[in-house]
Amino acid sequence: MTGRRIGVVVCQCGGNISDYVDTEKVRETIEKDADVVSAQVQMFACSDAAQQDAIREIREKKLDGVVVCSCSPKLHTATFRAMAERAGLNPYQYTQVNIREQDSWAHTHDRGGATQKAIHLARAGVARTALSEPLEKIRVETLPAVVVVGGGVAGLRAALELSEMGISVHLVERAEELGGHVARWGNLFPNDKVGRELVHGLISAVRARENIAVYLGAELLEKSGRLGAFQVKLRTRSKETVELTVGSIVVATGFEPYAPQAGEFGYGLPGVVTLPEFKELLATGARPLAYQGRPVRSIAYVYCVGSRESPDRSGRTYCSRYCCSATSHIATVVNGLDPSVRQYHLFRDIRTYGRYEALYEKALRGGSVYLRYSEEDPPSVTSSDGQLVVKVKDRLLAGEEVELRPDLVVLVTGMTPRENSELTQALKLPVGKDGFFREVHVKLRPVETVMDGIFIVGAAQGPKNVAESVASALAGVSKAGALLMKGYVNLDPLVAAVDPNLCLWCEECLKACPYGAVRPVEAGDKQIAEVSSLLCKGEGACVPACPKQAISVRGYTNEQVTAMIDALAQEAA
Amino acid sequence: MKSDPTFLRDLHVGAEFDAQLCMNCGTCTALCPLGIELMPRKLFRRALLGDREGVLGQKDTIYSCLLCRLCEANCPAGVHIAENVRTLRVALNRELFGLAEA
Ligand SMILES: Cc1cc2nc3c(=O)[nH]c(=O)nc-3n(C[C@H](O)[C@H](O)[C@H](O)COP(=O)(O)OP(=O)(O)OC[C@H]3O[C@@H](n4cnc5c(N)ncnc54)[C@H](O)[C@@H]3O)c2cc1C
Ligand code: SF4
Ligand code: SF4
Ligand code: SF4
Ligand code: SF4
Repeated sequence: MTGRRIGVVVCQCGGNISDYVDTEKVRETIEKDADVVSAQVQMFACSDAAQQDAIREIREKKLDGVVVCSCSPKLHTATFRAMAERAGLNPYQYTQVNIREQDSWAHTHDRGGATQKAIHLARAGVARTALSEPLEKIRVETLPAVVVVGGGVAGLRAALELSEMGISVHLVERAEELGGHVARWGNLFPNDKVGRELVHGLISAVRARENIAVYLGAELLEKSGRLGAFQVKLRTRSKETVELTVGSIVVATGFEPYAPQAGEFGYGLPGVVTLPEFKELLATGARPLAYQGRPVRSIAYVYCVGSRESPDRSGRTYCSRYCCSATSHIATVVNGLDPSVRQYHLFRDIRTYGRYEALYEKALRGGSVYLRYSEEDPPSVTSSDGQLVVKVKDRLLAGEEVELRPDLVVLVTGMTPRENSELTQALKLPVGKDGFFREVHVKLRPVETVMDGIFIVGAAQGPKNVAESVASALAGVSKAGALLMKGYVNLDPLVAAVDPNLCLWCEECLKACPYGAVRPVEAGDKQIAEVSSLLCKGEGACVPACPKQAISVRGYTNEQVTAMIDALAQEAA
Repeated sequence: MKSDPTFLRDLHVGAEFDAQLCMNCGTCTALCPLGIELMPRKLFRRALLGDREGVLGQKDTIYSCLLCRLCEANCPAGVHIAENVRTLRVALNRELFGLAEA
C-alpha cells in the first residue's frame, strides 16, 4: 500500500485479447488491489474515444499513475505516454503491460491460464507504477551539420538532400574520386541510364553547393561526443587531421563485389570473368563482342556465386538482390550489341522482383535460355584445349546433363560487406551476422543504428540496387533532418543513475557498458561513476554488474523491479 | 548431351522462334490430340539448348503435328507453338531433305 492513485485500463483489442483472456475478470480482480482507484475495460484502448475516457478518468479521479494492459510496448508506448501528458500526468508514470503478444496470442488454448497470467502481469505493472517518479525528458541541442562517410550514389544523394535542407555537409570519401561502384558500370537497369553519367550529374551538383565540403582520399578516424554534437576527426589526403563538430553521422560506405576463390566455378581459367569485370567490358561499348581478342559468340552465366551459401560454408547466406536483375539486363545489352550471341543463364531462382520482371521477360524474348541448377548439384566449369566446358544438369530435361562450350563464362558474383574495421571501431557500429552494418529493425527502423544520431544508408546496410540505395539515403536524410532542423531533440530520461553514497568506483559498470557512457568523476574525497545521460541507452548492462547496487536505471529501479517480481509471484485471486 | 550454340543459327531459325518463353507447365502436352508422343516443350528445350541429334532424331514427331493449334490457343505463356513447329519443319526440310524454301 503506497497511497498512490493508479488507474488501470484492460484492452480487449477487439477480440485479439478478449477471445482468450477474460478481460472483465482481470478488471474486477485488479480493481480490488491496493493503490488501484480505477479499472476499466476498453474494446480498443488506443482508439480516440477510449483515450478520451482515460483522460477524463485521470483528471476526475486525480490519478498519479496509469497502466494500460494491451499490446506490445513497442506498438503503443508513445501513444499512451502522449495520452498521459494530455491529461496532465507525467508520461513516465505510465506503464504498458503486454497481455497480447505475450499472453493472449501465446496461450490461445488456455483461457483460464491466460487470464491468470494477465492478472499477474497487470499487478506487476501496477507495482512498477506505484513506485514511479515523474521524470523530465532530456533536451539535447543539435548542430545543423552532418558528416557523410562514403561518396557513392547513396552518399552523394544524401549529401545533396541534406544540403538542400540547409544543413552543412562534410562528405568524406576514402577513394581518390567520388562515385563509388556506379561510376564503373555502363548502362544500368532498369532504364538504361549510364552509371558514369548518373554519378557525374550528382558530383557536379555536389560541387556546386557551397555548404558541402568534399574530402577525397580521406578517412574518419575518431568520434566522440553524442547525438547533436559529435566531435569527429578526419585524416585528409595530405595526412592532416581535421576536427569537426557535427550533429549527426551518415554512413554510406557501400559494398565490395564478391571475389571468387581461384578454381571456384573455374575462376582463373581464361575466359571466366566476374559480373563486374564483364560489366566493365561491356561499358566500353566495343563491338563485335570480344574478350582478350577472341570473339564471343556464346556466354554462360552462373548465378548466385558467393551468395545464398549454406551457413556451414560462409556467412553469405543472403541473396544479393541486384544480380538476377543486373544479369537479365546485361543479357539485353548483349542482345543489342549482337543478337546472334547465344546466352545461357545457369540460375538457382530468378529473383527479378517487382518491375524488374520485365527485364527477365525481355532477356527471354531476346533468346536467352535459362537452366535451373540446384545448390547440391552445381554446374562445373573446366577447360579442354583452351575451350571452356560447362556441365549442368537441366531440370527441364529430367536432370539430363547438358554440356555447353561457351566462349565466356560470367560468374554472377554477389555483394559482400566492405573491409571497414577502422570505421566500425571508430563509430562503434554494430555489424550483423552477414558482416553488413546492422540496423535497429529491418522493417521498422531500417536506417537507424543503436547509436543515436548515426545512420547507415545504401549498400553498407545490406545488398541494394541503385534505386534502393537512394531510397535508403533519403530515409537517412529525413531521419537526420528531423533530429537537426529543430535545433534540439528530447530524449527519454530512462537512463542509468548512480547513488553517490554507495558507489566505490570499482569500474565494473564501466566494463559492462557497451556504449562507453560511464566515466569517473570526483565526488568529495572519493571517485565515483558518472553516467552520461546522452550516451546511456538505458539497457541496464551495468545494473547487475555493480556489487553495491549503486547503479540503476530510472523507471526500472531495483525497488521497482523487485516489487514487480513480488507482484508476479503473488498468488492470483 | 553436347550443346551446339550454332545449331539454331545453322537452321536459320530467327526471332520468330519464341520457344524460350515456355514455362514448362505441360498444358500443351495435356491438350494435344496426338497424345504424349508429341511434347512441344521437350522438343523446344532441345532446340534451344542446341541438341542437334535430339531435335533431328524427333523428325517423326515434328511432322506428325496436326498444326491444330489447340495447344497454342491455351498456352499461358503465349508461345506460338504451332508456328515454332512449322519453323522447325522448314529447317528440317532444308537440313535433312535438302528442300529449298519456297
Ligand atoms: C556488377 C554490378 C552491376 C550492377 N548493376 C546495377 C544496375 O544495373 N542497376 C542498379 O540499380 N544497380 C546495379 N548495381 C548495384 C549498385 O552498384 C549499388 O546499388 C550501388 O553501388 C550502391 O551504392 P552505395 O553508394 O551504397 O555504395 P558504393 O557504390 O559501394 O559506394 C560507397 C563509397 O564509399 C566509399 N567508402 C567506403 N568505405 C569508406 C570509408 N571508410 N571512408 C570513406 N569512404 C568510404 C567507397 O570508396 C565508395 O566510393 C550493380 C552492382 C554490381 C556489382
Ligand atoms: S491498445 Fe493495443 S491491444 Fe489495445 S486495441 Fe490498441 S492495438 Fe489492440
Ligand atoms: S539476386 Fe539472383 S543471382 Fe543474386 S543472389 Fe539473389 S538469386 Fe542469386
Ligand atoms: S502450354 Fe506453353 S508454356 Fe505450357 S508447356 Fe506448352 S509451350 Fe510451354
Ligand atoms: S498444334 Fe500440334 S502440338 Fe499443338 S495440339 Fe495440335 S497437334 Fe498437338
